[in-house]
Amino acid sequence: MTTAIVVGSGAGGSFAAMVLAQAGYQVTVYEKGPNHFTDLAGQVHTAFANDSLAMLRRYYAEPDPEVFPRTWRPNPSAPVQHTGSVDELPQVVGGGTVHWDAKVPRFWDIDFQQRSALGPVEGADVADWPFTYQDLAPYYDEVELLIGVQGDATRLPGLVRTHAPRGPYPMPPGPQMRASAVLAAGAEAVGLHPFPFPMAANSVGGYNGQPACNNCGFCSGFGCPLNARPSALVPLRLALRTGRVRLVPETMVTRVLLTGPAAAQRATGVSWTRCTERGRESGTDNADLVILAASAIETVRLALLSQFPDRGRLGRRLMLHAFTDASAIFTGERMHAYRGRSVTQCAEDAADPDYPGARAFARQHGLPYLRGGLMELGGSQDPISEAQSYQALLSFIRADKPFGTEFKQLMRASILRDRLAGCSFIGHDLPYLTHTVTLDPEVTDVFGLPVARVTWSAGKHEQVARQFWIPRLKAMMKQAGAAVALAVPATDNSGGVPTGRHVMGGMMMGTDPAASVTDAYGRVHGLDNVYVADGSVFVTSGAHNPTNTIMAVALRNMRHLAGGRPGLGLGDHGR
Amino acid sequence: MARAYRFFTAHQAAVVEDATARIAPGPRDDPAEKGHPGAREAGVTAYIDTMLGAFRDDPPKIFAGGPWSSRLTPGPDLMARFAALDPVSKIAWRHRLSRWQEQYRTGIQTLDRLAGGDFTQATPQRQDKILAAQAHFTALLFEHTIEGLYAAPEYGGNDETAGWKEIGFPGDVQPRGYTPDEVERSDGHDPVGHSGIVADVLELLGAL
Repeated sequence: MTTAIVVGSGAGGSFAAMVLAQAGYQVTVYEKGPNHFTDLAGQVHTAFANDSLAMLRRYYAEPDPEVFPRTWRPNPSAPVQHTGSVDELPQVVGGGTVHWDAKVPRFWDIDFQQRSALGPVEGADVADWPFTYQDLAPYYDEVELLIGVQGDATRLPGLVRTHAPRGPYPMPPGPQMRASAVLAAGAEAVGLHPFPFPMAANSVGGYNGQPACNNCGFCSGFGCPLNARPSALVPLRLALRTGRVRLVPETMVTRVLLTGPAAAQRATGVSWTRCTERGRESGTDNADLVILAASAIETVRLALLSQFPDRGRLGRRLMLHAFTDASAIFTGERMHAYRGRSVTQCAEDAADPDYPGARAFARQHGLPYLRGGLMELGGSQDPISEAQSYQALLSFIRADKPFGTEFKQLMRASILRDRLAGCSFIGHDLPYLTHTVTLDPEVTDVFGLPVARVTWSAGKHEQVARQFWIPRLKAMMKQAGAAVALAVPATDNSGGVPTGRHVMGGMMMGTDPAASVTDAYGRVHGLDNVYVADGSVFVTSGAHNPTNTIMAVALRNMRHLAGGRPGLGLGDHGR
Repeated sequence: MARAYRFFTAHQAAVVEDATARIAPGPRDDPAEKGHPGAREAGVTAYIDTMLGAFRDDPPKIFAGGPWSSRLTPGPDLMARFAALDPVSKIAWRHRLSRWQEQYRTGIQTLDRLAGGDFTQATPQRQDKILAAQAHFTALLFEHTIEGLYAAPEYGGNDETAGWKEIGFPGDVQPRGYTPDEVERSDGHDPVGHSGIVADVLELLGAL
């Protein structure tokens, strides 16, 4: 019998567990956080509710910075400027797919061949992936069929069909939110090409045995009360149904145990620790294979804690997407973006380096090209977040009395919630060797282990791309009828701390061991039986929400490892 | 007031009630808020007291349950059955709450001292000045006032969803959700009043 340990139960780990278990491995999945679901192998149920407080304020799903902090500094010569939450993803069974709004665009062909297609960028480490879009496309197809995606291939604009050709989606798009439709009209008016945002939520009841989404509005940032976007729970369910998978929540893998001479090390297993009602417990677990899928920042941290062989690239090239938060405020209509799937329209025009004027603007600023990213058209925020915005604004413009009746007047007018149609604008983030995850020399977590220190700030390309795109975002929002259109870097609202929750790089795939951390299938160079199956293996960041690509790459790489097709085919996943 | 508190003394609760009512005033606190419930009416003090005394219950009142309340469907309020805390979350919340408890104890003492002994006896104008001068504690009170107004009622505030009704927010909507028409339609022309603070904020945002 061959045994495997998978560290993490999210987008990548769930697929790793499924493929390995279906291929006959005995698999143990360690998840640092708790399990908020019951009957994962059957008809899954959850205690997630329409509960802003638990999810947005109390860390029901995200790592609590009281016990699992990170640190952040903008560059390697700056001191740490923040200790607490840094671009956290949920730390629960299901990982980031528990709180996402399940938007699943695909990366473009040029994302996988960025160095060949677009050339080098001075100061950055742009490279090609070890495979192409065409190589990955069948795995995208399989992921989308498996987790269940809604979309309309006939409405994809030519740009998207060219750069990410595909067949039909498994389900049609659900209803389009008013706020999204209004911004999409503005986008069309300025020559952009909006379309229904592909999303891994059921528009048809019964897919995967789960109900249809009922558009409750508590989507991005929330656990789904209906499990209408089961996401990683689908491969996890298939994994558990093999009878060969043990899921161990509330347990942190603290080290991958290595043996052998420096040039030819192997993993023998992992050490783990957990808190229980009786106190701390720790132990070790042996396995033939170890798969890291703790998401990019924590996977790098575990690799560093385990003293993986490092030829200079381990933990480098962290990519976080340089988001811009754009807000269209409508003074004549309430946009009610609290009804619906957080956002239902998108446009990918800004991912195109050949968008009219972009090349010339880039050259004026000393760059060969620039790329923004996908525009999410039509989101808003919940009342607690809205009220916090007013609290901050009042402290700025009403310093003498930053509270009181005026606060309540703002809440009733609701210019930053009910009258808001937001545009979250993904900023393609180039890979830089100076953007890193390292172990913090001072701060430790609840187990006494050094936490991840994130070193990241928007680079020159990201800033120039914003300069080019922000006026265009504002023009789009004005065309949509907004009375006020503003667009600012997301980090302006967080004191510089990265916040976009798109976390990639650090364990780059490649064929040259001197210029990458894993091989072309995610196996760590110099460690025969240790693989990585999360976003840390990304070579470039794309211009799109990354989770679909995390899943597709994990599926590709784990299939290669497990060899051939699984024993259970696609027809056997409960639909 | 003869109610039992989980964390506050009766006097501490009275100070918090007055202070949060200055942050989010209701009809009894400001004539301009006639017809508009504020922190006092929505039970913000009970929210804060429930939070600070969360570990008086097992499971602690930190994470409401689910997947839905009884507001839109018959049957038990599943959100009122609080979720069990995993051991690490317990450590985290004990740390956080003990810090906040201390901030409330000393913050309330300071408000009393600046009011000459009893904050609740100061005039509203004097209370405003004291709160404005105590920016750090007032910011914490403000954050918790926001939560007490707009978090689900199971957490102890937002009495009869007064906080949500006041701002036209339906709150939790499972298991009903919204119909396609409710998602897609325009709710029609509904201009915002362009005066005072709303105009000032629009002007500020427009300049960014």
